[in-house]
Amino acid sequence: MPVALVLIASTPAFAAELLPADKPIHEVVDHHINAGLKTEKLKPAPQVNDANLARRLTLDLVGRIPAVSEVRTFVSSPESDKRTKLIDGFIGTPEFVDHQAVRFEVFITGGNGNIRKYLTTAFQENRGWDSMTRDILLAKESDPVQKEALAFLKGRLKDTDQLTNDVSVIFFGINVSCTKCHDHPLVDGWTQDHFYGMKSFFNRSFDSGGFVGEKEFGRVEYTTTAGEKRQAPLMFLTGTVVDEPEGHEPSKDEQKKLEAKYKELAKKKEAPPEPKYSRRAKLLEIALKPGEDHFFAKSIVNRVWHQLIGQGLVMPLDQMHSENPPSHPELMDWLARDLVSHNYDLRRLIRGIAMSQAYSRSSQWAAADRPAPETFAVGVVRPLTPWQYSRSLGLAATDPRQFAGEIKPDELLKRITGAANAGNASLFEEPGENFQISADEALLFSNSDRIAGSYLRGGLFGYLKTIEDSSKLIDEASWSILSRAPDAEERKLLVTHLDARKDRRDQALQQLIWAMLSGTEFRFNY
Amino acid sequence: MSNNKQRFCGSSEHALDRRSFLCSAAGSIGGVAGVHYLGQDALAEQLKRNDKRVILLWLAGGASQLETWDPKPGRPTGGPFTDIATSVPGVRISELMPKMAQRFGKSTSIVRSLNTKNGSHGGGAQLMMRGRNDEPSVKYPDFGAMLAREVGDPNSQVPDYVAVYTSTEGRGSGKITPAFLGARYAPIKLTEKMGLGNIEMLKDISNSDHLQRAELRAALSNKFTKGRASGVVDSHRQAYDRVRGLMSSNKLFDISGEPQHILNKYGPTQFAKQALIARRLIEAGVPFVRVGRAWWDSHGQNFETHQELVPELDHVMSTLLDDLSERGLLDSTLVITLAEFGRTPKINGSLGRDHFASAWSASLSGCGIKPGVVYGKTDKDGQTVADGQVGAGEIVASIFEAVGIPHDKEYHIGSRPIPLVNPGISPIKDILA
Repeated sequence: MPVALVLIASTPAFAAELLPADKPIHEVVDHHINAGLKTEKLKPAPQVNDANLARRLTLDLVGRIPAVSEVRTFVSSPESDKRTKLIDGFIGTPEFVDHQAVRFEVFITGGNGNIRKYLTTAFQENRGWDSMTRDILLAKESDPVQKEALAFLKGRLKDTDQLTNDVSVIFFGINVSCTKCHDHPLVDGWTQDHFYGMKSFFNRSFDSGGFVGEKEFGRVEYTTTAGEKRQAPLMFLTGTVVDEPEGHEPSKDEQKKLEAKYKELAKKKEAPPEPKYSRRAKLLEIALKPGEDHFFAKSIVNRVWHQLIGQGLVMPLDQMHSENPPSHPELMDWLARDLVSHNYDLRRLIRGIAMSQAYSRSSQWAAADRPAPETFAVGVVRPLTPWQYSRSLGLAATDPRQFAGEIKPDELLKRITGAANAGNASLFEEPGENFQISADEALLFSNSDRIAGSYLRGGLFGYLKTIEDSSKLIDEASWSILSRAPDAEERKLLVTHLDARKDRRDQALQQLIWAMLSGTEFRFNY
Repeated sequence: MSNNKQRFCGSSEHALDRRSFLCSAAGSIGGVAGVHYLGQDALAEQLKRNDKRVILLWLAGGASQLETWDPKPGRPTGGPFTDIATSVPGVRISELMPKMAQRFGKSTSIVRSLNTKNGSHGGGAQLMMRGRNDEPSVKYPDFGAMLAREVGDPNSQVPDYVAVYTSTEGRGSGKITPAFLGARYAPIKLTEKMGLGNIEMLKDISNSDHLQRAELRAALSNKFTKGRASGVVDSHRQAYDRVRGLMSSNKLFDISGEPQHILNKYGPTQFAKQALIARRLIEAGVPFVRVGRAWWDSHGQNFETHQELVPELDHVMSTLLDDLSERGLLDSTLVITLAEFGRTPKINGSLGRDHFASAWSASLSGCGIKPGVVYGKTDKDGQTVADGQVGAGEIVASIFEAVGIPHDKEYHIGSRPIPLVNPGISPIKDILA
């Protein structure tokens, strides 16, 4: 019985009856999401307006709100393909590269290991996700680019269990730690071999005086829940066991000699010799092989989808096993197939999702009974990352006249990136699972001189001060900070606020800027 | 054993079927996202939050059990100090603690049989504060954050968790973390100036402007959140709603308004002042306060160090217990002394004692504790636990039970139930009232 189930888990998942491969990604996305809505008899939230779309796309693709001139140009443009142009204009720019490098570093290392420089190069060159994964897991000191990715392994070599689980979660969407102590409670056929099998790919890797080394010997043994000692097979998550060349397991004495040799090399600051047969390399080989690659491909599709839409096709992101299927299985299969057949091109995937209607639904649901997130009937409100938040605050608080008038595109971009600086990013927390905004952040905005100095007394304040007409002032403030025009209710509220404080208009203006910048709308990508 | 482990990872014993797993995994809207209680009585539990409080006196660096709760006078390991009788016949503690000796039978229990197996500052601190070690996929919150969540009032204006640091305490100590409980339960740390950060208004804004701009902010934000409610969106409002309350709690940190006889009782040391602040905080409704007292790490000159620090601990702890008792707060306030580990019975060449996690002591006083109990025993030289061996988990389980929270209560993250302490761990019943 368990054997049969393992086979189900390892069946190649790209079913035959998928939509044609040459259909544009966004059409396939909308085909499946809309079909799901129809089945559920759900009328989705409307598409966002242009200003909201520009803000969402700019935050997601280049990691900041749009500058006033950018969003105004977008809103007033009559072109029917302006969305495509905006997306294509962003993808591949240095800002796009930086933003993706920051996002992917958080996702890959979770703060354990600095691989920003590597990721920047990788996104610049548009390396495929398969190459990036190889670069990270098989990084070589001798390769000038891969070298910058070594920190991922180095930060994890001292704890093979952690390395095993981190790699499984990050690259394959599977948390195997449940099967460390016992068979998986939810997935039939998943045994302790699933943990120790994965661990076997890493058990020979070690830290050799700051270098990543891999031995040619070493087996993983574990005790089953029944108390029986077992040698783990070299087994991938699909259940496929790797045939190893007849390994020569050295005697205890030989092992001691080898260990001594490694120690000596480490002392001399020399890298240990590379193994003739690398288990770590074998993992990449099998995990990316046709028929075995669905964990790898679907996991990254799910991550990118989650980054852009705020809800994965599979949730939680680390439970992509057979008992927890995607909300839209055919869509997942199609996207994974498309990614594999296009050399794991992440730009293509990001672009495709960003073009879809599913991406651009309003996050507001006026009626009762907000639909379940897995229907994708309504947009998800997502907290800004520290990078997005700091850069957006900087840009919003800058004198908008810097971005207006006849400026060459290159010069405009230079000014924007100069204003949108990430200098205060370290003041904010990286949103994770169950993220909550802390009282510390509210106190920081309320009472710190750093916030007041950075955002309340600068360029935007200086500009708004020059505008005498309260209504016009509110227009300008709203476009600068909220990337949209104020509505009538807001205008009334804010005009009243300003006009009631004619005796101290400067202070009233700073309060207005503060109320918008610290507000909930600005804090989120909605 | 294996059964327990299975429970832990979410087997059918939880009556947790696939449907409920998927619902809870996806349904992170409203309330504290993703953290749920199992069981029907979740709401009732929330409403029934009690008024229990906890003060942890954290003896950073590792106090010696031999110069405090478990002396071995006359033995080669005993050192120069002797022991004295307490108010409980047959129970003797170090002569450096005469005040606690008098009060022992009134309020306090000692656990003399801790074997916690981790002798590093960082690792030991983490273990004792969390009651267990982290796993690759789960970082556990410390018991202060869990208590803040369990005991604290969700609508409270005061902080839920205050950590009073001394300047040296950061040294090698474990990072305090609310982990999956979320930022709401992160400790608010006292700065060197014994106040909270960003708690005072800037000079260039008046109080009424500060209030009015917050109202303007709320009006704009509430308009935005209409039709966009979710856990994380709501947490933004909650965070700003707490600003003025937290600012007004600033006065709690100012002890200058205390009557002179109270100030005299506590005395002039920093540790004493911090203990007084802790009392003011719990009186105002802060559920958990951790006061750190550093410099216990006596690798050299152990006896001089303890001759100075133990009488101070004796004085501060007994004054705090008396003060709480006089205010009728001791029945609802648990006071704990704990550290990352104890110190070696063997006296080293520098007349010091080194890190020692195999047989050491902690104390619990007040709320929910049976007074005058000594639990567990070490051998005649204090080298090993002779009876009643317990670890960090049992201490943490006892803390929860003492303040009326079942130690086997579970949080639920995605598919995975997370009990307050690891499965199979029991509280120390003998010390519980």
